[in-house]
Amino acid sequence: MTTGVLLYCFDTETAKYHNLAERCILQAQEYLDLPITVVTNKDTQSRLKSKSVEYKIVTEKTGNTRTYRGQNVPWHNKERALAYEHSPYENTILMDCDYFVFSDTLLQLSASQYDILLHHDTHDLTGEDMIVGSDESTLPLVWATVTLFRKTTNTRAVFDMIKHVQAYYSHYRNLYRIKYNNYRNDYAFAIALHQLSLGSKIPTPMAMLPIGVDVTDSDASGVVFKYGNYTNFITGQDVHIMDKEWCDV
Amino acid sequence: MDIGHLKQHSDLNFKVAQAKKNALEKLRSRQLMAYNQRLFQADANTINLVSTLKQHSEDFYVLDANDNPCHITDPEEFLNRLIERNQETLNAYHQLHQDLANKRIT
Repeated sequence: MTTGVLLYCFDTETAKYHNLAERCILQAQEYLDLPITVVTNKDTQSRLKSKSVEYKIVTEKTGNTRTYRGQNVPWHNKERALAYEHSPYENTILMDCDYFVFSDTLLQLSASQYDILLHHDTHDLTGEDMIVGSDESTLPLVWATVTLFRKTTNTRAVFDMIKHVQAYYSHYRNLYRIKYNNYRNDYAFAIALHQLSLGSKIPTPMAMLPIGVDVTDSDASGVVFKYGNYTNFITGQDVHIMDKEWCDV
Repeated sequence: MDIGHLKQHSDLNFKVAQAKKNALEKLRSRQLMAYNQRLFQADANTINLVSTLKQHSEDFYVLDANDNPCHITDPEEFLNRLIERNQETLNAYHQLHQDLANKRIT
């Protein structure tokens, strides 16, 4: 059975996602040693320097936005619904390009036989609990940041359902009383899994550094981060970093 | 202690407590282990359960981290792997714990 990593990376007018993807690829190569496929567009691919990965060129859907550090910015996140078709692997580790691997935990998860595995919970490394607000929806939230899936009938149904949810997002948004107007994969995945009664938990929460946290230094084993007057670091633990500029320098 | 020193003390304790929380989360996440295509937490509960069942039977079933049954046909090997993973993560945590204790003293 083939196992590999699938990334989505589309630069926008305000964020150089290709810099994040380059670093994400380096980390995945260091700790996972698996083949990597990057789904991107021609423009972003021209800036990506990684040679040892496969590229799949697509034209992404535009029009979606997100709030980032007080601004409304473009967000090209809708292609992920096609991950089942885009993945050349039977066993796929689908990751955001702002998720950074500093351990072999994903290898352990990918060695299990679950159809689809996602985080259901997060751990805010700052201790400020800034990740999830209250009453954001009536839905049991999952995090699509890291999704491990095998190509099975169940998983096919999940991704087909995600496409349907994306097409009728305003209906599902109302149904589940989702607070945010924009399209978020976390909610689309959560709705699909809820509708189909599928999906299994990654048993430990996803470590996260929220938007207000700056990454000030890093090496192959971890990152140093600053929030307010506090500086801290993590090593040997995978982390979702929401600061989008830390790889730009 | 005046209020300035109390604030410093409080800040340091907050940082240490948060570092400890983060280290414990890291420990739990590093304890995740795939075995027979199921997921297990290499923690004291799993080790105790496997150790106990091993004394009664050469093979048995246990629930994995998502409550799915797993047939354990080689309890010795499974237990060894659990203990190895558990001690690897606890050693790392112990080192960090010592560093934090030193921080509080200095």
